[in-house]
Amino acid sequence: MKFRLALFAAVAGLLVSVQQAAAHHSFAAEFDGTKAVRLVGKLTKIEWTNPHSYFYLDVALDSGKVSSWTCEAGAPGTLSRRGFNKGDIKLGDTVVVDGYLAKDGSHTIDARRVTLPDGRIVSGGSAGDGGPEDSATTSKKQ
Amino acid sequence: MKLAAASIGLFLLSLTANAQDTPRGSVPPPPAGPTPKAADGRPDLSGYWRDDGNAHPHGNIGKDLPGYKLPFTAAGEAAHKYNVEHTVDPESRCLPGGIPREDAGDGGFQLLQVPGNTAFLYQYGTFRLIPTDGRKHPNDPDPTYFGDAIGSWDGNTFVIDSTAFKEANTWADENADPHSDALHTVERWTRSDLGHLHLDLLIEDPKFYKEPIHFQRSWLLSPGRQTRESACTENNIDVFSGHLGPGPGPIRADGTRGYDNPAPLPPPPSASNPARTILPPGVN
Repeated sequence: MKFRLALFAAVAGLLVSVQQAAAHHSFAAEFDGTKAVRLVGKLTKIEWTNPHSYFYLDVALDSGKVSSWTCEAGAPGTLSRRGFNKGDIKLGDTVVVDGYLAKDGSHTIDARRVTLPDGRIVSGGSAGDGGPEDSATTSKKQ
Repeated sequence: MKLAAASIGLFLLSLTANAQDTPRGSVPPPPAGPTPKAADGRPDLSGYWRDDGNAHPHGNIGKDLPGYKLPFTAAGEAAHKYNVEHTVDPESRCLPGGIPREDAGDGGFQLLQVPGNTAFLYQYGTFRLIPTDGRKHPNDPDPTYFGDAIGSWDGNTFVIDSTAFKEANTWADENADPHSDALHTVERWTRSDLGHLHLDLLIEDPKFYKEPIHFQRSWLLSPGRQTRESACTENNIDVFSGHLGPGPGPIRADGTRGYDNPAPLPPPPSASNPARTILPPGVN
């Protein structure tokens, strides 16, 4: 029963329409669409805030070094309409976040695609800006 | 079977409840019915209005012009260049989008029409009030982002006449197109039935544009929705940290801003292809 409810929620979340495209800034103005990044890391801080939510990760590199990264996502209301809710992640969880590198070279990406600990994939970023995962309809459970 | 039926049900429910900027052709119809009337017999335009999915390109005041080409004066060209090269998106700095930006964007808005006043409540906690008590523009109004607006009725058309706009720190649309303090807008709003709201907008700005710009679009009623709280400076890292530079980012051939042919993301993780960190060359 719980699995069915979770799957219903996932389906509903992925089919809900995306954030307004008239965003308060273009993600493409801040992030470099030529520099795709994938981060696999442990959550060290979570900020469900306006104008954006932020997920901070400790990312273990092949060299053994651990690097801190910031993932910028939509505001909480936007994410919850896609089925991505506060209860879906907690500190210490490992998540996979795909996006583009900040133009200023900082360890920041826009969270275009987030793979949650339970395997669900949700769109985390701004919509209508032509980036991958622009629409929540690409979200799916693995 | 039950799972499929429930999924379909949730799909339909989610579309009617939450659809906002949905892809072209996929916006579900709003509720049907006649145009509501206010106590004075005029159309009542109240409701939460969402983008109808047909205003392409979105966020562009030139959308109804051939090639979306705006008729800039020399001063307008210079102002546009300045916006692109030197101004961080004013809305990212929590300044009001103002008019005509809010008319051209596809955030939804809540319209509340009461005797003597009509309020527009926008997505980032901004608003404008349109008095409909017959007053005229003041002689020396203070410039604002939304302009000094007065409302009147022309039959069943609600007319908003706005002057006294700011010129600095404001974009006319999402693409950093400029407007000057000589801007004058005339909006003509009509509600043809319960579910449809239409705008015919005239933009006159002789300082920056050689001729008036006409713009029109429609919105659909979204029952049950309302404008929500938005605390823009709660955690505005983009601006406070300087991550966000000036300009609107790339403007694509379709007239909208956004990523232009971005690099593909890695394929979604799977059991056969587990995720590992991938950084661009030179980044560690």
